[in-house]
Amino acid sequence: MSASDVLPRKEANVLRGHEGAVLAARFNSDGNYCLSCGKDRTIRLWNPHRGIHIKTYKSHGREVRDVHVTPDNSKLCSCGGDRQIFYWDVSTGRVIRKFRGHDGEVNAVKFNEYSSVVVSAGYDRSLRAWDCRSHSNEPIQIIDTFLDSVMSVCLTKTEIIGGSVDGTVRTFDMRIGRELSDNLGQPVNCIAMSNDGNCILASCLDSTLRLLDRSTGELLQEYKGHTCKSYKLDCCLTNTDAHITGGSEDGFIYFWDLVDASVVSSFQAHSSVVTSVSYHPKDNCMITASVDGTIRVWKT
Amino acid sequence: MDSDGDDYVFYGTPIEREEEISSRKKKAVAKSSGHLRSLPVWKQEVTDEEGRRRFHGAFTGGFSAGYYNTVGSEKGWAPQSFVSSRKNRAEVKQQSILNFLDEDEKAELDGQSLGTSMQFDTFGFTAAELARKQAEKEQQQRPSAIPGPVPDEIILPVTESIGVKLLLKMGWRHGHSIKDSNANSQYDARREARKAFLAFSSDDAKLQLAESEPVKCNIENSTEQPANDDVLSYESTPVYVLNPKQDLHGLGFDPYKHAPEFREKKRSRICGKEPGNRKAYMAKDNLFGFKSGNVAPGFGIGALEELDAEDEDVYASGLDLVDTYVQEVEEPSRLITDSKQKLVAKEHGVLPGFRVASNSEQQLERFDAPVIPKDFVPHHKFPGPLETNYKLADSPPQEVLPPEDNNLKLLIEGVATLVARCGKLFEDLSREKNQSNPLFNFLTGGNGHDYYTRKLWEERQKRNSQSKQQLDGKLSLSTQRMTAESRGKILGERPLDRSTKDLGSSVASAEVIQLQFNLSDTFTKPASFSGLPEVMKPFEDDPVKQERFEQFLKAKYQGGLRSTDSSGASNMSEAARAHERLDFEAAAEAIQKGQWGKESKFSPQQFVDFSANGGMQFTSGGLEQVKDSEADDLVMKKMFPKREECQWRPSPVLCKRFDLIDPYMGKPPPAPRMRSKIDTLIFTSDSVKSTKVEETPTANRDSHPTPQFDVQGIRQDVSSKEIEVEVEVENVERPVDLYKAIFSDDSDDEGESISLNKVEDPGKKIEAATTTLNRLIAGDFLESLGKELGLEVPPEMPYPTNKAQIPASQKEGVDTDAGDANILPVQNKPSSTPISRTRVDHEQPHDQEIAQDGRSGKTEFIHGNSDRTGSIYMETSSSGKKFDKVNPEKLAQEHKKARTPSGRHQNWNDSSSSEDERSRSKLSGKYRHRSSGSDSDSSIDHRDRHHSRSKGRKKESSREKSSSSRRHSKHHKRRSRDSPSRSRHESRREHGEAKRERRKKRD
Repeated sequence: MSASDVLPRKEANVLRGHEGAVLAARFNSDGNYCLSCGKDRTIRLWNPHRGIHIKTYKSHGREVRDVHVTPDNSKLCSCGGDRQIFYWDVSTGRVIRKFRGHDGEVNAVKFNEYSSVVVSAGYDRSLRAWDCRSHSNEPIQIIDTFLDSVMSVCLTKTEIIGGSVDGTVRTFDMRIGRELSDNLGQPVNCIAMSNDGNCILASCLDSTLRLLDRSTGELLQEYKGHTCKSYKLDCCLTNTDAHITGGSEDGFIYFWDLVDASVVSSFQAHSSVVTSVSYHPKDNCMITASVDGTIRVWKT
Repeated sequence: MDSDGDDYVFYGTPIEREEEISSRKKKAVAKSSGHLRSLPVWKQEVTDEEGRRRFHGAFTGGFSAGYYNTVGSEKGWAPQSFVSSRKNRAEVKQQSILNFLDEDEKAELDGQSLGTSMQFDTFGFTAAELARKQAEKEQQQRPSAIPGPVPDEIILPVTESIGVKLLLKMGWRHGHSIKDSNANSQYDARREARKAFLAFSSDDAKLQLAESEPVKCNIENSTEQPANDDVLSYESTPVYVLNPKQDLHGLGFDPYKHAPEFREKKRSRICGKEPGNRKAYMAKDNLFGFKSGNVAPGFGIGALEELDAEDEDVYASGLDLVDTYVQEVEEPSRLITDSKQKLVAKEHGVLPGFRVASNSEQQLERFDAPVIPKDFVPHHKFPGPLETNYKLADSPPQEVLPPEDNNLKLLIEGVATLVARCGKLFEDLSREKNQSNPLFNFLTGGNGHDYYTRKLWEERQKRNSQSKQQLDGKLSLSTQRMTAESRGKILGERPLDRSTKDLGSSVASAEVIQLQFNLSDTFTKPASFSGLPEVMKPFEDDPVKQERFEQFLKAKYQGGLRSTDSSGASNMSEAARAHERLDFEAAAEAIQKGQWGKESKFSPQQFVDFSANGGMQFTSGGLEQVKDSEADDLVMKKMFPKREECQWRPSPVLCKRFDLIDPYMGKPPPAPRMRSKIDTLIFTSDSVKSTKVEETPTANRDSHPTPQFDVQGIRQDVSSKEIEVEVEVENVERPVDLYKAIFSDDSDDEGESISLNKVEDPGKKIEAATTTLNRLIAGDFLESLGKELGLEVPPEMPYPTNKAQIPASQKEGVDTDAGDANILPVQNKPSSTPISRTRVDHEQPHDQEIAQDGRSGKTEFIHGNSDRTGSIYMETSSSGKKFDKVNPEKLAQEHKKARTPSGRHQNWNDSSSSEDERSRSKLSGKYRHRSSGSDSDSSIDHRDRHHSRSKGRKKESSREKSSSSRRHSKHHKRRSRDSPSRSRHESRREHGEAKRERRKKRD
């Protein structure tokens, strides 16, 4: 059971502070800090290893659904129910810019590699790319080929990948100007990239995680056991790409083996729906966020 | 000194007469005052005090010209005696404008300066200020008990404004009304007198006098006035009452505009401080109009004016009797209004003029719903369509032995069957008919009656069960037909997971059903909930509450609009209701939790919306999966994931931000989708999706290849027509050598020239258009060339030209992105350029060296993927580029290899090459292709040189687009007359030479 030994299953810290459901918790790029956002319309910056709440970012008018921080930790972007994308300065806590344009709630947001573009996924069935460099508040690209709400977005150096409730994971390749649409047949809740960039993990609303090969679109594996029927639940791969982890609506966290899809471990982590999981980029450490208002830090 | 100045010479100045002087003075004054100022500077005249013109300057002026208007004296400036300010430096010298003015200026200024004067201190501010200063000064001198300036600032000396002073002088005293109390003639006279007095009293000197005057006036004029004044004196000046806006009307909205009688009513209600007497009075007034007699008609009260206090007072005394009378009458109403005022606090919704009953006996009395017995099943059994069913419930008659007489038995049985089938009417009929017949005695209670009844019952039973079965069958059918589930099942939809899914059907099967019942069930659903809330009775101790809870649950689960609260809850207070609501929700949640574990048939979905934690929810009820069977899974796995691929155009900025090269750089923006018939046929816009799977030559979806195919197709069509014409003309074989002579020189540097062009202008969008234009021109050129040579060349088709634009433009885009400054011959953009050109490469051996520098990659691709009919645009553009860079030589080899089996290409060319393809079948393919190649070549040459002309052509070509084939002959003629074609041709040649030179240099 060496495999499961490396899984973070011990609760190291509980980050309390959010009033109401926490909708997303994300490590920063080096894993020293984490950001969370929730229904209380705030974004919070934590040190998960010491369990310290560092800063609160308030400006959103409605719940904050997703947050992402630049690799250099200088800027934040967040989105939520107020249909806007907020571009923050981390240190001052001020909003640098607000990007308006989505016609509905914005479900997910990501910076690109150079932190020059924010790509947002919205309930209005579109992905929008916003330019952080220029002062224009207009989106520089609107991708509206989705047929339903776009739930999640991932960026590579050259691609934009979006997962939508219409059951597709669409990859937009900027180098060749092609759109690849992988239809999974089930509403896609969340997508996550493997660390090697070859696979994409899609969480579907039929309580199944699906691992796709990005180059061929082939379904590599399905992971079942958890409950995911109505909430946006995050999933991710561990830092070694050996396991897949995800939350469940009953408060459990599940670990699957990447290859044989067996449930390696599952335990009750929260009293309520686990909305978000984020795995440390280097260490065996994980944070989970839940509707019960807490963020828990898990270590081996 | 103008006209007559020439004739006469005058010495000295003429003596002027007195009146002249005075008139001049006047004039001067008038002038200087206004007129002069309006004149421009050079027209203004300077005059002295006496109005004489004064001259300035040594030549025109008199002795005084030197210093007037300039310096102070004849001697010039008089310096001020110097005063040292050293000693009295502290003394602040207030400078004013007067310090800097000369005397005369001061004099001028005297009358004009503005200042305040104490006389017109209307509001007394200045006086107050002065007084305050004065007091301050005094304060400084004497010690104050309270230190500091506080009391001085607080306590100001009282001064009265001039207005107050005037009023006081007029006899007004503090606290009195200023308003004239009466409007009668006497008072008017008095007012006139006052006015006169005012006029007088403005003069200070007469002040004393004036003060005594009004007294006299008063005494003289108003003998009856004192009485009035007395009345007035009671009336203190009304304190200015701010009318707070207490209603919810918008600004300026007057709800009483058309019903002014309610206005007073409301006012009285709001401020109940007026004496009751008057209020009731006024209320009456207003309610019954102004003609009530309380107010004398025609006296000052207009329709829009409000009733004034004074006005009423005046007449109050006179109409005392009436008043009291009214009062008596109004007494009860006053009571009512009083009581109403009390009520107003409680009940706001009462209309003015109506009152709320003091006792609440009229309130709706609510009765509790009748208690339903516990065993009551809320099913109503409707009487069946047949009478027979009615009797079903009867206890079956005794089993009776059949009568011995076999005939009788048969008869009885027959009759019973008939009766059972036809109803009781038959029995009655037969009884009547066979009254006399002893055989039928059993009907009337005779022999065998018992058996008959028994038999009848049996028959009915039988029939009933039959009909029931029939009905059952029908019902099951109909239900299946009716429910969405079954429909969904048929259609392969996933059934919705409903909690009450099979409740209805189970009930249906359990009970004896009749159609009516079934119908009623579908509409009212009485039973569907009897099952549900059984499990959850959290409020059993309070049946009413339990009922409401069930109602609540029903509303919850049933979905749709929330039903209005049950009647029982309606007499609860809002707070209580809210509280109860919370209770219910909690209970529902608890129940849900309890059930979650036990019963899987209640999906969590239903309860999700109660749970207080509201994460992000998706209303995915419809999408929820019922456990799929293995087969379904298999199907799913087979079906999904399904990959599709289509074109997507990233914006240039996005590519820039991602630090990528825009794959569509230099390409024109996607054409706006055209709606006209032809256009939709021909163009498929870039954004049209295409799936790789569907990439067949016929598929119109793939954006890039299709235009090409379309072009070809249509060209083919059109050219096939042309061919017929041509064939007639072309019985003379074209001299091959001639063509060779024309084209061979170009064929060498064809690729070069094109690449040159490309190098010159990568990324220019205009180029795309111009190339196509040039191709048009080239067509023209070919045509005219043919003319010159005495050959008939079919005129350029509107369709092909039209089409040519698209591939060309695409080609341009490929050029620019594929080879960033890589020299790639145009011929090697096979997928987008007309394919005939690619073939040029293959068939021209002397092109090989050009082929080496990379275009081979592209052509290779064409061959490799040609089974896909060259539709893979993406690969050619992207990976073709790679190939170019990576391994040109190898690819070149491949290219050579691939060159041989180019039959397919030939086919393409047959179909695609334009107008002259078929007709010139006698010509060798080589030349043919050369010609087409050179035609594009020449076009590109022209792009450089004849830009402007090509623009002119553009218009023409666009005209051509619209023109139908009918016009061709005309067109043709016009073309033949076109002389510039020749010059073009020549210039092309020159250009070709120039290029060759250039190429040599580079080599």
